Amino acid sequence: MGGADKFNNQQILVVGATGALGGAIARQLKVEGADLIVSGREQGKLAALTAECGGSSLSVDLSDSAGCVQLADAVGELDGVVYAAGVAPVVPVRYLKDADIEACLNLNTTMPLLLIRELLKKKRLKTGASIVWMSSLASVRGTAGYAAYAASKAGLEASARCLALELAPKRMRVNCIAPGMIETDMAEATAERISDEALAAHLKAYPLGAGQPADVAAATSFLLSQESRWVTGITLPVDGGFSI
Amino acid sequence: MSLAKFIENFEEAVEDIEPGSLTATTKYRELEAWDSLAFLTVIAMIDAEYDVRIKGDVLKNCETLEALYAQVSA
Repeated sequence: MGGADKFNNQQILVVGATGALGGAIARQLKVEGADLIVSGREQGKLAALTAECGGSSLSVDLSDSAGCVQLADAVGELDGVVYAAGVAPVVPVRYLKDADIEACLNLNTTMPLLLIRELLKKKRLKTGASIVWMSSLASVRGTAGYAAYAASKAGLEASARCLALELAPKRMRVNCIAPGMIETDMAEATAERISDEALAAHLKAYPLGAGQPADVAAATSFLLSQESRWVTGITLPVDGGFSI
Repeated sequence: MSLAKFIENFEEAVEDIEPGSLTATTKYRELEAWDSLAFLTVIAMIDAEYDVRIKGDVLKNCETLEALYAQVSA
């Protein structure tokens, strides 16, 4: 099943939709017939995305659980949830600031968990709902400067495995996607802190070259859809062969 | 904030640099210890110590520690 029939007006919440990955995911899901609720920090981008994809939008501050409560209050019963919000401080440990570590763990690890908690409390997830969290190859590959980010994503994946077991009796599924180097704003910002030589060496490790947001969107669509109905608790690498 | 203190911070940030071995005119990109980790660490040190977020291009374009310090203190 593909095209607009794939999601057939299913209600899907995309958090972090104003980022390059979240935006690409929203656009793909719209083409495939989803009825979207998009959330993000940047109101202008959110308005533009909603104008393009329809559905509804909500700008929330995810610095604490109040934002998750606000989101859970605003949505109806959902068939799917995508969490693609995140930050990536690229700083060697000895110069890591408390605030950087806290913000990274909070947005990347704590908030996705609290969001699901609030959605469950308010019974906003339908039986058979699919949850997809955006992780990273950093969760399993050590890279200097990424200690906080790697910890946040490894924690996210560990939480996903536990949550997958908790929700399996309701036929709800929880999976992560671990993208490699995708050409996004976040990757560009990261590249500004990495030498040309290091970036070139990193890119060489991708047999299929750097990825595009659409590659991650396609994988997200698969994990949200019934095509993956027997898949839960996994982390799917989408990395152009980097992890071979 | 002084050039001398900046050089001291730079020496501390980059591994295998002997304290007191660098000067204002040192061409830091020609140092044996200058590698991708040093690149990342100096950006982080400048952020942590001076609350200045410089882009990688600045590190790539400056030649001496004096020139880099001028960018940081601008």
